[in-house]
Amino acid sequence: MGKARKPVQIIILFLIVLLGGYAIGSSVFGGDGKPKEGSTAPSFELLGLDGKSHTLDEYKGKAVVLNFWGSWCAPCVKEMPALQAQWEKWKDEGVVVVGVNVGEDQMTVENFVKLVDINFPIVMDPGRDAVRSYGISPMPTTFFINARGKVDSIHIGQLDLSTLDTQIGKLVKR
Amino acid sequence: MSSKAPLFTNTKCECGHQNPVGTVLCEACGKPLEEKEAESSENLEMRYDGVARRSQRVNPGIIDRVWNFFSSVKIAVYLIVLTLLGSMLGTILPQESTFLNIDASTYYKQEYGTAGDIYYKLGLSHTYESWWFVTLLVMIGASLVICSLDRVLPLYKALTRQKIRKHRQFLTRQKVVLVTEVQDDPETWVERVAGPLKKRGYRVKTDGGALLAEKHRFSRWGPYVIHIGLIIFLLAVLARGLPGLNMDQHLAFPQGEITQIPDTTFYLENKKFIVEFYTEEEMPEEFRGKKVLPKLYETQAVLYECTADCGDPSKKPQLNEVASHDIRVNSPLSYKGLKAYQFDYDLTPVLRSVQPELKDSRTGEVYGKFKLTMKNPERSFEAGPYTVTLKEKYMDFGLSDEGQPVSVSPYPNAPAFLFLITGPDLPAEGQQYFYFPKQVDKTKFQQTAINDKLGGGSRFLELEVGDMKDVDFSESTTYLNVRVDRAMPFIWVGAAIVMLGLVLGFYWQHRRVWLTVDDGVLTLGGHTNKNWFGFRREIVGVLGKVDMAVDEKTLDNGGGLA
Repeated sequence: MGKARKPVQIIILFLIVLLGGYAIGSSVFGGDGKPKEGSTAPSFELLGLDGKSHTLDEYKGKAVVLNFWGSWCAPCVKEMPALQAQWEKWKDEGVVVVGVNVGEDQMTVENFVKLVDINFPIVMDPGRDAVRSYGISPMPTTFFINARGKVDSIHIGQLDLSTLDTQIGKLVKR
Repeated sequence: MSSKAPLFTNTKCECGHQNPVGTVLCEACGKPLEEKEAESSENLEMRYDGVARRSQRVNPGIIDRVWNFFSSVKIAVYLIVLTLLGSMLGTILPQESTFLNIDASTYYKQEYGTAGDIYYKLGLSHTYESWWFVTLLVMIGASLVICSLDRVLPLYKALTRQKIRKHRQFLTRQKVVLVTEVQDDPETWVERVAGPLKKRGYRVKTDGGALLAEKHRFSRWGPYVIHIGLIIFLLAVLARGLPGLNMDQHLAFPQGEITQIPDTTFYLENKKFIVEFYTEEEMPEEFRGKKVLPKLYETQAVLYECTADCGDPSKKPQLNEVASHDIRVNSPLSYKGLKAYQFDYDLTPVLRSVQPELKDSRTGEVYGKFKLTMKNPERSFEAGPYTVTLKEKYMDFGLSDEGQPVSVSPYPNAPAFLFLITGPDLPAEGQQYFYFPKQVDKTKFQQTAINDKLGGGSRFLELEVGDMKDVDFSESTTYLNVRVDRAMPFIWVGAAIVMLGLVLGFYWQHRRVWLTVDDGVLTLGGHTNKNWFGFRREIVGVLGKVDMAVDEKTLDNGGGLA
């Protein structure tokens, strides 16, 4: 026992630091599981208006503006033209605007898209899965995700053209 | 514990045994080693049989210092007291985790005023998840492991290598002591007393005129067994944070629908929900006419597991029934560690579909009937010679600030549909028709007036529901608490081990009797870790068997313990 004592001490202390670090770390950084600025954007798989299923991964390498909206939510409706304008401005520079419709059916979404005349990709989240994993409570909420798949910033509430422009500008530079 | 060892300590006992630093009583003969201790006549400190704790050494390095910090029982007690005080803070106001839908940043201020706001800002609204509380728990865990290791190994060694013949001072300074004369030859007397000792369950070893009798040594391991149990318990609690090991969700399941349980491959169908209320007669006087209390609520549930096309939203998942149960309070549906508990219900009916008839209001002729679902309706219907096309759909009809028809929420509170009807006697481009399935909305939003405006005065087609059979409601929604806790078996195992340790430590006592007979004098010393009273009785009983009458009280060497 005498000789093995030191290594045993070191191994046990190491295990304590490891497990303890994990426990304390997850209480400090784990939080409520919602993505924050700097954390990896949660993946999703949702049906698009084009009838195909879409994931966040397919936009890897591009900056993503992920906008959660509903046709019943007035500020969401109001910011749509701004999103469309910025989509047209930035789409050739590696930026993609993705609208996530929350909890509505295809017909409502299709009619709405026609009505406000937008053509950026729209996916539908009828089961609110992405809403849950992104921790969305009020709408609209927009996530700015950089090309490496990390959340750059989160905007809660209606976006106007100029803030959207500066946000995307920052996103592209990084 | 805090007494500092002198710079040079002679750790070699006069019996020739070399003891490690920190030894209180010689490992071999039991003689007190420190001079001060040797000169005293007080009872001996018998903790851990006087052996040095494992980590006591002359020149401690950093690792030794950290180790010694956690090895200290004093520190362990402080940690436990701090944890207790910390836990108390978390009981002042309800914790955030007890609420389902609150915004904690405003809730505490609203509900409890400034004090509540301070409570929230100090982070006490989630005391048990806070970094300092977890740190305390981790430190207690470290202390448990290190304290145990530091003591159990030397103690084990000391107890397995006991010498039979002990130093005279070791015997006379026990709490149970007897010094008396015996006439017999030492070896004969020792042989005689060995018999009754064995009968009482002692394991007896003799060495000429010396004897060591010992029983229930295993009870000494009780505390360490408790510690092992506690460590398993703590690790299990820690493991709950790992993905997939723990889930706790409160979900709504409308009657008659199959709903996915998020983050799992399971789907749950609420076949039927029933609720019974207490009648007026069954309720106590003070509740009558004031309260409505449910007597029973039950969800007839079927659990499905998805077998194919699960993640792909463009395909329909293929489900396989795996379990079914009538869920009531305290009777959850349980399948492979997933449990669904009855939690709440909502009796507001939700409209699911209607089957209106297309009718000619002039003749009363019915052209046809079609099924209109609220969610994902079909877009086109045939009714006799007429084609009814769905153009717009509003789940919760209202008007926007600009006067446009909009849906004010995604829930079918006031559904409205705009159709385009084409067919005989209608304009070529068709006729628009607004349809409100709910009677209350028809009047509220003036369906007839709208349609008169859209179709003109000569319109003759109406959509009407003929029979209540043609209306499909989800009568109610049940709320279930769906839980998975895969760490639970380990928590039970840990708790069972703790219980075992408690039983070991509480119901048995480690009793030892040393005796030597030299020159016609019997010197007897006895030690137990508790129940000294019973121990003395036992010795008196044993000595009585060898015709030696001893008073129980004379065995008591003082020391204040019963």
